[in-house]
Amino acid sequence: MKEEIEISDLMIYAMASQIQNFDTVLHGVSSPLPILAMSVARKTHAPDMAYISGAEGVDPDLDRIYPSSFDVRLNRNAVAYFGLHEAFDLAQRGELNVMFLGAAQIDRHGNTNLSVIGDIDRPKVQLPGGAASAFLMPITPKVVIWVTRHSSRVFVEEVDFVTGQGYNTRPEECKKNELVVISNLGVMNFKNPGRVMQIQSYHPGHDVDEIKEKTGFDLLVAPDVSVTPVPGPEVIQLIRTIDPDDVRRTEFG
Amino acid sequence: MKKVLTSLEEAAKFIQDGDLVTFGGATFHRAPMEFVRELVRQGRKDLNLVDREPAMDFDLLIGAGCVAKVRTGMLAFEIFGMAPNFRKKSESGEITTKEGACQPIIAGFRAAAMGLPSLPVKGMLGSDLLEISEVIGSQKLMKDPFTGETMIAVRAIQPDVVVIHAQKGDEYGNVRIEGPFYEDVIKAKAAKRLVVTVEELIPNSQIRKKPEATTLPHFLVDAVVETPGGAYPCSCFNYYDVDYDHIKKYLKAAAEGRFEDYLDEQVYKRKRT
Repeated sequence: MKEEIEISDLMIYAMASQIQNFDTVLHGVSSPLPILAMSVARKTHAPDMAYISGAEGVDPDLDRIYPSSFDVRLNRNAVAYFGLHEAFDLAQRGELNVMFLGAAQIDRHGNTNLSVIGDIDRPKVQLPGGAASAFLMPITPKVVIWVTRHSSRVFVEEVDFVTGQGYNTRPEECKKNELVVISNLGVMNFKNPGRVMQIQSYHPGHDVDEIKEKTGFDLLVAPDVSVTPVPGPEVIQLIRTIDPDDVRRTEFG
Repeated sequence: MKKVLTSLEEAAKFIQDGDLVTFGGATFHRAPMEFVRELVRQGRKDLNLVDREPAMDFDLLIGAGCVAKVRTGMLAFEIFGMAPNFRKKSESGEITTKEGACQPIIAGFRAAAMGLPSLPVKGMLGSDLLEISEVIGSQKLMKDPFTGETMIAVRAIQPDVVVIHAQKGDEYGNVRIEGPFYEDVIKAKAAKRLVVTVEELIPNSQIRKKPEATTLPHFLVDAVVETPGGAYPCSCFNYYDVDYDHIKKYLKAAAEGRFEDYLDEQVYKRKRT
């Protein structure tokens, strides 16, 4: 077995660290990394979290993942089914604590684009769509955006289309929640008065300069910037057990 | 109770050119694929498709030239990548894409199911999606009359026809869905007409022994078709899993410009059930 820690392990561990014990967490479509992060959190520091699968099972006994994040086998030994519309009701009540979302583009204020490159009516590139992004980003207490390819094509000065709302596009009452961006290079947040993106930690083998260089806008650096914590062997083993087919690696291309 | 058992061929005729249509299931799970293939064989045109997270069902119809408009929260092949025909025809302008978001689309179905003209949702504020949907009149800002809170009113989505693939049903249209329901019950109530294809036809006496297992009572259902393998290559819980290899074959054919061959082999020449 490879001794080296893979970038997917690091990202999954950083994503799992965003979940606290007793949190209610939902994963969406096309989400191998969030599923693995939720599984790691539940087996380590958050045993009492409520795990709602996009496949609708609650607290399933997950033995492995599949190419589809809605694969019905992900519901094995679940305690109940809870539909997406019910999870959305929970979100409107403010009781869905954490959600993981993707982004094809993201800007300094945290606006995400999953809709189109170019004009919405005549797209140069049609993207898949934001799914629940526009609904959940302003109302979920903690939103974690994961990006597997950190570059200036993804971290852009201005997104072509605001699918998910950053802090500058949200109404005042929706600016209090927490937004975290976890990429293959580091962990970014918006914990500063201007609520713009800053580097909170860089992954081992990377540094602040590299992250800034691969970002298409002027990225701030948190005063207490540090290196991203590394998962221990038991976490890495857990990830490999649940994902024997390396589904997680497809996200890294 | 009236018998509503019919053939796939007859059931597909419920859908007219230009109709607003949605399907049960989500991504690669319990999509009514055999019904979709029958629509392609019958050459349906200009369909207006809506759903929160469809996949191959929508993309196949788009690729076969059956679709004019699409409204989804996300239309992709999960980690396999973009829905190839959707991307191609949206970029070329052959289809009109009006992106929605999952919650407003579900709220639209819920409004129709409840007999309401609209239903408010939270979130959405500040997204450009709101602007485009205001233009097409599917969502508008509103103030709650009691608290003054700003919300989004979503116009009811009442599909002309909803098609669901379920595990079991009787000849009267009493239907059992097993495993996750997705929004199928909501969609069934939102529909003007509802077609259900089932893996297995079961006797009415069996339905009566366990009414709590009935998901859709007969008066919601306009047609039932016995269609074993009706979700293939998508999954049908308790019957079969997704055939991921088939999905990869589909994507490969589309990527190599051989989508017509795929249609020939897997749709036109495929034996009707």
